[in-house]
Amino acid sequence: VDEHSQIQPKNKKNKQRVLMLSSRGVTHRMRHLMNDLETLLPHIKKDAKLDSKNHLNLLPELADLNNCNNTLYFEARRHEDLYLWAAKTPNGPSIKMHVQNIHTMDELKMTGNCLKGSRGLLSFDKRFDEREWGRLTKELFTHIFGVPSTARKAKPFIDHILTFSLLDNKIWFRNFQIVEKDPLKPNGPPETSLVEIGPRFVLTPIRIFEGAFGGATVYSNPEFISPAAVRSAIRREQGSKYGQRKQ
Amino acid sequence: DDAVFTRKVEVDNEVALERIRETIALDSSLPWTETLVVTYPETIDVDVDDDLNREVAFYKQALHCANSARQLAAKHSFPFTRPADYFAEMVKSDSHMERIRQRLLNETAAIKLSE
Repeated sequence: VDEHSQIQPKNKKNKQRVLMLSSRGVTHRMRHLMNDLETLLPHIKKDAKLDSKNHLNLLPELADLNNCNNTLYFEARRHEDLYLWAAKTPNGPSIKMHVQNIHTMDELKMTGNCLKGSRGLLSFDKRFDEREWGRLTKELFTHIFGVPSTARKAKPFIDHILTFSLLDNKIWFRNFQIVEKDPLKPNGPPETSLVEIGPRFVLTPIRIFEGAFGGATVYSNPEFISPAAVRSAIRREQGSKYGQRKQ
Repeated sequence: DDAVFTRKVEVDNEVALERIRETIALDSSLPWTETLVVTYPETIDVDVDDDLNREVAFYKQALHCANSARQLAAKHSFPFTRPADYFAEMVKSDSHMERIRQRLLNETAAIKLSE
């Protein structure tokens, strides 16, 4: 066996498969976002909705049954808030994030298009490398959002780029088509331009856990305020305005 | 009854984070063509609420990375550009693209009308 492994060290492959599933109570927009990710990333295996919100420890087992070593779990709360768990299964780590500003590919403003299942470039800005939690996030996203060359539906060319940017302590996701020819000058020199394909979303990291869907917290975002707290603060302010008027 | 501000306990265990990253890190001897990761050598420093400049910054990041990826691909003799005669199923269907085109046409027509 040793001899064999010595002969083949050159054909090292990055083997990743991702299980994607959601909790119950996702709205149409959240569902469309999941569909977009499924069409863009051919190494994703989509599974049925998870029935229980309290038994996330079932997920590593489920991923294992599907031969997946990563899991993306979308958790909807109150039919309006969406959380995304990105986890390395079965041994962790996992990152819990809050998803905001979702725009799906169905929206007609984005005119880009790309081959179904083509491998996208992954682009991270420099700020990911500044802090340790950013470096870990970058590594995990490389596993989850990078289409491995072995993916069944992968294409041999590159025509789009997934962009992750850290701004305001949030991760902004964009997806652009790479256009190499100006349609007005078909014989001119090739010049790269980009057209957005979609989807768009913003992720706010909340916590990083050592295990898969549990375990010790190794990072928590002190700036994160839960959307429910934000809403109740707005309501309280409106209520106090009314109370002052009444006095 | 002033509200008491309780500062949330902040956890940022850099030692553990680094150790965890090392356990999951991909083999560093993997060729670039296996991951296709490109790092933008700048940080994005724009006003978050300024939609236009923010999107321009993201565009610049993507464009810079696309160009450096093309050079990397050439170095690894990895095919990058799709030949003009290669056709396959696209992410957005033809009918979807037609709807987008129709919308653009309607918009330009509306602009012309208002002039």
